[in-house]
Parts: sequence; C-alpha cells; structure tokens
Amino acid sequence: METIDINRLKSGEVNLGTSIMAVQFKDGVVVGADSRTTTGSYIANRVTDKLTHVHDRIYCCRSGSAADTQAIADIVHYYLQIQTQTRGAPPSVHTAANVFQELCYTNKDALSAGIIVAGWDKESGPSVYNIPLGGGLFRQPWAIGGSGSTYVYGYCDATYQEGWSRDQTICVDHIMDALALAMSRDGSSGGVIRMCVITEDGVERLFVPGNELPKFWQGKECWARL
Amino acid sequence: MFRNTYDSDNTVFSPQGRLHQVEYALEAVKQGSAAVGLRSKTHAILLALKRSTGELASYQQKMHRIDDHVGIAIAGLTSDARVLSNFMRQQAMSSRMVFNRPVPVNRLVSAIADKAQVNTQEYGRRPYGVGFLVVGQDKTGPHLYEFSPSGNSYEYYAMSIGARSQSAKTYLEKHYESFADCSLEELIKHGLHSLRETLQQDKELTINNTSIGIVGPASVHEKNVSAEGNFRILEGEEIEVYLKSMTPKDTGEAPAAAAAPAEEDATAPPAAPIVDEDVQMAD
Amino acid sequence: MTSIGTGYDLSASTYSPDGRIFQVEYANKAVENSGTAIGLRVKDGVVLAVEKLIHSKLLVSESNRRIQTIDKHVGLATAGLLADGRHLSNRARDEAASYREHYRSAPTLQFLVDRVGLYVQAYTLYSSVRPFGCSTILGAVDETGPALFIVEPSGVSYGYHGAAVGKGRQLAKTELEKLKFSELSLREAVMEAARIIYLVHDDAKEKDFELEMTWVGSETNGVHLPVPQDLFNEAARKAKEALENFE
Repeated sequence: METIDINRLKSGEVNLGTSIMAVQFKDGVVVGADSRTTTGSYIANRVTDKLTHVHDRIYCCRSGSAADTQAIADIVHYYLQIQTQTRGAPPSVHTAANVFQELCYTNKDALSAGIIVAGWDKESGPSVYNIPLGGGLFRQPWAIGGSGSTYVYGYCDATYQEGWSRDQTICVDHIMDALALAMSRDGSSGGVIRMCVITEDGVERLFVPGNELPKFWQGKECWARL
Repeated sequence: MFRNTYDSDNTVFSPQGRLHQVEYALEAVKQGSAAVGLRSKTHAILLALKRSTGELASYQQKMHRIDDHVGIAIAGLTSDARVLSNFMRQQAMSSRMVFNRPVPVNRLVSAIADKAQVNTQEYGRRPYGVGFLVVGQDKTGPHLYEFSPSGNSYEYYAMSIGARSQSAKTYLEKHYESFADCSLEELIKHGLHSLRETLQQDKELTINNTSIGIVGPASVHEKNVSAEGNFRILEGEEIEVYLKSMTPKDTGEAPAAAAAPAEEDATAPPAAPIVDEDVQMAD
Repeated sequence: MTSIGTGYDLSASTYSPDGRIFQVEYANKAVENSGTAIGLRVKDGVVLAVEKLIHSKLLVSESNRRIQTIDKHVGLATAGLLADGRHLSNRARDEAASYREHYRSAPTLQFLVDRVGLYVQAYTLYSSVRPFGCSTILGAVDETGPALFIVEPSGVSYGYHGAAVGKGRQLAKTELEKLKFSELSLREAVMEAARIIYLVHDDAKEKDFELEMTWVGSETNGVHLPVPQDLFNEAARKAKEALENFE
C-alpha cells in the first residue's frame, strides 16, 4: 500500500530547508529567516528572501516547498486585497492567518508548507500565528519553524522573555542569535539573515551579511593524551 | 382563456403587486376536504374529514406521521403532500442523526415553507397545491402550525383548512380562549364540533370519514400510548367513543354556526378573487 | 397606469420604451401593501420595529416573528411578501456564516448589505425568475459603529439614520425626520420606534396589529435581541398615550 509522505519533495523540487522565526514585542513583531534554498545538496539560491509581504503590515515566513509556499502567499495576498477593497480597511493578522490555514488544511495532501504569519493590526496590535505542516492554526508570542528550528527550541525557550521592546533591540538580537545558531547546525540553512520589524508606523528591513553573523563557540578539536 | 394577463406565470407580478398563480394554488387547498387543528396546554390535535370516491373505494388518507413527535393533516393535492411530507421526514431523521435530538416543530415547518417559497419565484415550477396543519411537541410544549403554498407558515391556537373551513374557523374563533385549559377529551369534542361545521347539509361525522391525530398524554380511552405522548392517528372503532360524546347538532352550538357564511361548494371551480384573509400572501 | 396591456410589464427582463422595468415596480407594490417596518440608528445602537398585522385572532401572539437575527450583531426586518423575506434572511445568514468561515471575524453590515443587494439584483435580470416582493431593513452594530440600511426589490441599498418601508412609510418618514438621531439614546429610540408604529397604524382601515421590536447596541452588549419585556411594555404604553394626545 502506498503511504503518503507529505514531507517528500519531487526529485529536483526546490526546498526551503530553512530556519524561520517570528517574535511579538510591545509595539510590533520581528520576523526573521535565513536565505538558503536547496535542491538536494545544491544551494539553488544563497540570498533568498523568505519573508514575504502579504499586506501592508502582515508578512509571512515560508518553509517547505518554495513553489507551494509562494503560490499560497500569492493567493492570500489576492484575498487580502479583495477584502481591503470591500471592507475599506486593512485586514487583521488573524484574518490573514485564517486564510493561510484554510488553504493549508484543505490542500494538506498536496502541499508541503509550514508558514508563520506575523504582523500588526488595529484590533489586536502585534500578533504571531504558526501554521505547521498539517494545517493547524496557533497563536503564539513567538514561533520558530523550518528544519533549522529543531536545533534551537531549547535556546529560545531558555532565552525568551515577555515584555521585550524594539528599543532595547533585544528582540532583534534574540532572533539574530537564534537564527545564527540554527544556521550553524542545520545543513539546509545558511547564507545571510533577513529580518523585518513590523509596527503600526511601518516595516523596517534589516540585513545581516554572512560574514557578520553573531559568532558563538566554534568548536575545538581535543586530543586525548596518550 | 385566462382571467387576466398576469395570472399564467408564477414569475409575474400583477400591477397591484399580487401573485395570481400563488392565489390560485391557495384555491387548490380549498378543494380538499377540511382539516382542523387545536392546541391546549398539554395537547395538540388534528381532526380531518376523509372523502371516498364511492362505495367500492376506501377513504383517502388525510393524516401522516412525520416523526414520533410530529404529525400533519393535509388539504389539497395529495401527491404534493407526499413530496413535502417525505421531505419533512428526511429533515426529522437528519436532526436525530446529526444532532441526536428530535427536530423542533417550527424548524420543520419553516423548512417546507422555505421550499415552497422557491416554487413561487422560479419559472417552470408551480406553487405546491397543498396546505398542512402540523401538530407536534418539543421542548417548548405542544404546537399547531399552518403551512400554505404561498410559503408562509404561522403558529395558531386553533386553525382549519380545506373546503368550507371558514365555518369551522368561525366555531374556533368563538371558543379558542377556552382551549388552553381543556382536557384531551374536551379538546377532541371541540375539534369534532368545528369539523362538523364543514359538512354538507345531509352529511355527518362517522367512524369511517373522520380521523383524529394527537400528540400529548393518553386519553382515558386510549391504550398503548407511549409515556412521551407520541403522535398517533385514531381511526375507525377507536373514535366511536369521541363521536358519541358530541352534542347533537340541532342543539347547543348549531345556531351560531349556521349563521356563518356558506362557502362555495367544494367541488365548484374557484370563484372570483378571494377576499378570505388567511389566503393573502402579503401580510 | 400606462404600463398595463403594453406587454412591456410581463417580465423582469423587459424594458419599456422609456427605460423602466415594470416588474420591479410591481414588486414594490407588494411592499407597499404590507405592514410598516422601521429602523432607527442612534449613537449607541439600532432599533428595529414592525407593525405586524394580525390576520386572525387565532394566531399565537408573540409567535410568528417578523424580525430575524442574521448574525449575532445583525437584525433584519422585512416588509412585503413574508416568504420572500425569509428567503432573503436565509441568504443573508449564509453570507454572514461564510464570511465568518473565511475570515474568522464578524462581517460588517455594509458587506452583508452589498452581498444581499447583489443577490436581489440578480432576480431583476431574468424572465425565469421574479424580483423579490419585499424591502429589507438591516440594522447592526459592527466595528464601524451602528449601521442601518434598506435593500429594495431592485437590489439598490442605501444607508439611513431612520428607515421606513411598507404601507405607512410616508407618515413614518415624516415622524423620523423630526428626530435628532445624534442626540437620542438607545432607550429613547425604542420609545420613538414604538410611538411611530402606533401612529402609522390605521385603526379605521386595518386589522389588528402587534408591535414587534428588537435592538442592538451598548445595552445589549452588541448582540441583536428582542427589546426586554418591561421596556417594551413601557414603550407601548407611552405610544398609546402619545396617540391619544396626537388625535
């Protein structure tokens, strides 16, 4: 009997083996991602932008199949535009996340997509939604995703604190550190770090080149004294 | 051929904003023999007059069970009634299957009313030619509803439909305030008295031409009724005791009813524009 | 009327030479024959009221409601063919539910009115259907605040501070125009609504009637509900008193 492996990509399909994350703070959210896109062992793109605009104050972080997640983001972008027109006001992050969820859940057998939706809206201020592989929908103060995230769950749990502000830049630093740690251990993640700070006032893009990533313990070979 | 330019299609409003095809469908209800419904605090009952085409034919079926807690009496096109009552049964069953509870009576009535409305608005259809009296009990007690081909449904204390139903209505209007506190036996007696008003001069109610439908606790004359008082139809010998309880016609209530305006003969073709208020589609 | 006998008035898909669609105008006639329905939009909510004509004393009072709830925060009152009104309210409910399904948030009244308007308009295009014989008043308090609209049989919709449809709409409009909607409280609006319904009811010509009132606003926590019995009774009593002084 054939079993369905929703993680399996077609041979040659471009994969966002990825480290992505989003953190909510007092005035907004920060989203961040590495920049590596692979086909098998080949790095198809070293400077990918996995932070995708779906509305003025709503972004998503994409992981899984590049084609699937781009298509989903396009469709959501379309729906949010329609809603903005009919409603005469920008959509809520909640609404955006729900449209993502519906697409991911109803097509779960055909898709390989793990998405984090984050942004700012008038109703609830900053918010982060996680939509993992099966098409569930979870609101969280912070979320991490992609293959690299598994290496830094412990780090994030130990480090994250409520009430961070943008001014202290701790939020941004935290994301930078977590992503750098993930990228250094995950073979499918790497390249540069891209981040977006989304607040009521606007979206600020941040860029960290590969040679300026935060450095941690790099390892050291030890020889047993014979 | 047609009475006017605006009466051959259900999709055409007359200049007065009326729908003639719907009004004619309401006439079809009046072709059927009468049915009467009454409600007390504990019971809702139906009574109907069955016709027979002749000595060799059986009497028509005027009542149907929809579910344990709901029953209907019909007047008009029997085949349309079968379509609608099947639909009601499906709705009732689906409520039991999906929600694990009996369907509320007003839901059921609204469902067929909504179905009937569509037939008043789309070309190539005709409005249903049948009216129902629906009795049932649910969490809010016993109920009596009228459904009509216009797609309207109303809840009543008591109501009559079908041929010469105006005479029965006159009786009901005179007595309805006492129905709430009636025992089942008294309620049936009122029902029989009002149904009798719809008879032609030389006819009378017999065990063959009368049906009684009941929801609510058993009467002293009934056996094998469930504790919940599920809907049951009484016919034949079973109703003799109730017929005997009636006050003979030439005494008691008869004079009041005789004063009621005589309806056109049930077999006559529909007469000129109807003024009977309960058949106006607009409220 | 010039329309009769011309043959241009037998279908919704036919224009008359001067560009009118008579079937839609006839549908409006069905509305004009029905009991009055009104709506008042004030600063902290909306009140809906209808004059429910009682065609038989055998009707169970307070059953057979003519104002429907479409969504938690949306009420709908119709005048005209009752069955058509229910058809439309079912459609409005479907629209509200699908909006919630899709966006996980409450639809604005403007959205619902637009959708219902499109639906109604579609029934003015074809000879295979007839237009809706009802005018619909929709009232709600949504994220934009209190809102009140009428959808007509032609499919057009307008927003109102005070809305009236049905037989007594002219008199009701005259009364509504005297009100200062920006200054009324929701409770005061309930009193006015009851007064207007009692006023427009023509005792001489009409059958009995029953007043039906619902509201939505700050007092109901944004939920569309029947006006509570004590307030209802007070409003009805004052309405009857006002009527005696008026005459």
